[in-house]
Amino acid sequence: MASSMCAAALSPSSAAAILSLPNRGLTLALLHRKARPFSFSVDRSSTSPAPLLSAPPLVSPSTLFSRKWKLSAAPEESPEEPEEPSVPEPVEAQIAAAATAKGEDVFAVVMIGSRQYIVFPGRFIYTQRLKGANVDDKIILNKVLLVGTRTKTYIGQPVVTNAAVHAVVEEQGLDKKVIVFKFKKKKNYRRTIGHRQPRTRIRITGITGYEDFPFETLPEMVPA
Amino acid sequence: MNKDKIFKLAKGFRGRAKNCIRIARERVEKALQYSYRDRRNKKRDMRSLWIERINAGTRLHGVNYGNFMHGLMKENIQLNRKVLSELSMHEPYSFKALVDISRNAFPGNKVPKKEGLSTVL
Repeated sequence: MASSMCAAALSPSSAAAILSLPNRGLTLALLHRKARPFSFSVDRSSTSPAPLLSAPPLVSPSTLFSRKWKLSAAPEESPEEPEEPSVPEPVEAQIAAAATAKGEDVFAVVMIGSRQYIVFPGRFIYTQRLKGANVDDKIILNKVLLVGTRTKTYIGQPVVTNAAVHAVVEEQGLDKKVIVFKFKKKKNYRRTIGHRQPRTRIRITGITGYEDFPFETLPEMVPA
Repeated sequence: MNKDKIFKLAKGFRGRAKNCIRIARERVEKALQYSYRDRRNKKRDMRSLWIERINAGTRLHGVNYGNFMHGLMKENIQLNRKVLSELSMHEPYSFKALVDISRNAFPGNKVPKKEGLSTVL
């Protein structure tokens, strides 16, 4: 995750550098070549609906190289490398969109069945069997002990009031079988019992209701 | 348990214990006894691991584990050690906020150090 993000940070800067100094195409072609596997993301972002000005025609080997790569990867006719200000935006927007689609930059610590779980929207957790919950039931968990976002932490004492974690019951099943073997030596006593603990899988859909709680502001985090 | 079940449980055992039924039966029984015992020990071991991690995390901020937990208890924060250890690893800024809260609630038992001359006087 960290390597892909800093490589993505590398390619826009290299693309920008190529544009601003067309005479230094050769040395920057090497840079671009190294970043080739990740420049794919840059090229794809050029097809995004961001407004693209006409780029100056570059005849340096770097553009030839990148043109070849684009033809093999994406068959659309797209203009040459997008220029400086719009290149960082689409990449970061893509990453942010991916993050919000999956994780949403919020997490919560919720207590279910006297156990505490760290919970992210979009992921599932296994909990003790929730009696009376059928599959595809919407559930609201209100024992939320801590909510964290990118910039703020809401620490509950003990509970963050009015915070709710919304979840959907996905499956009511049994855990893997565990063999309970009781043995007393030299007394001819052996008992074998199989045990499957009932459990429920729930998928977290969202975390709400924490905004009005007093929070601690965290220092600015540089995305790794 | 019949032989097939014993051999299935004896996979990965050393030497004849995975292939010869008499030896495999003994080893499998021992393995099952250990797993019964260790299912209880695992809970103790994990808690001790969490405490180690929380200790390490709080000492980075100049607070030790005992004072940290005392401060959290005073503030009625009921996060358990598992979650606290995960936060100390993956959410360092949130953890620092917790350490600050605990430090404000309970600054610690500091015995004032006496200087050399004042102990004599």
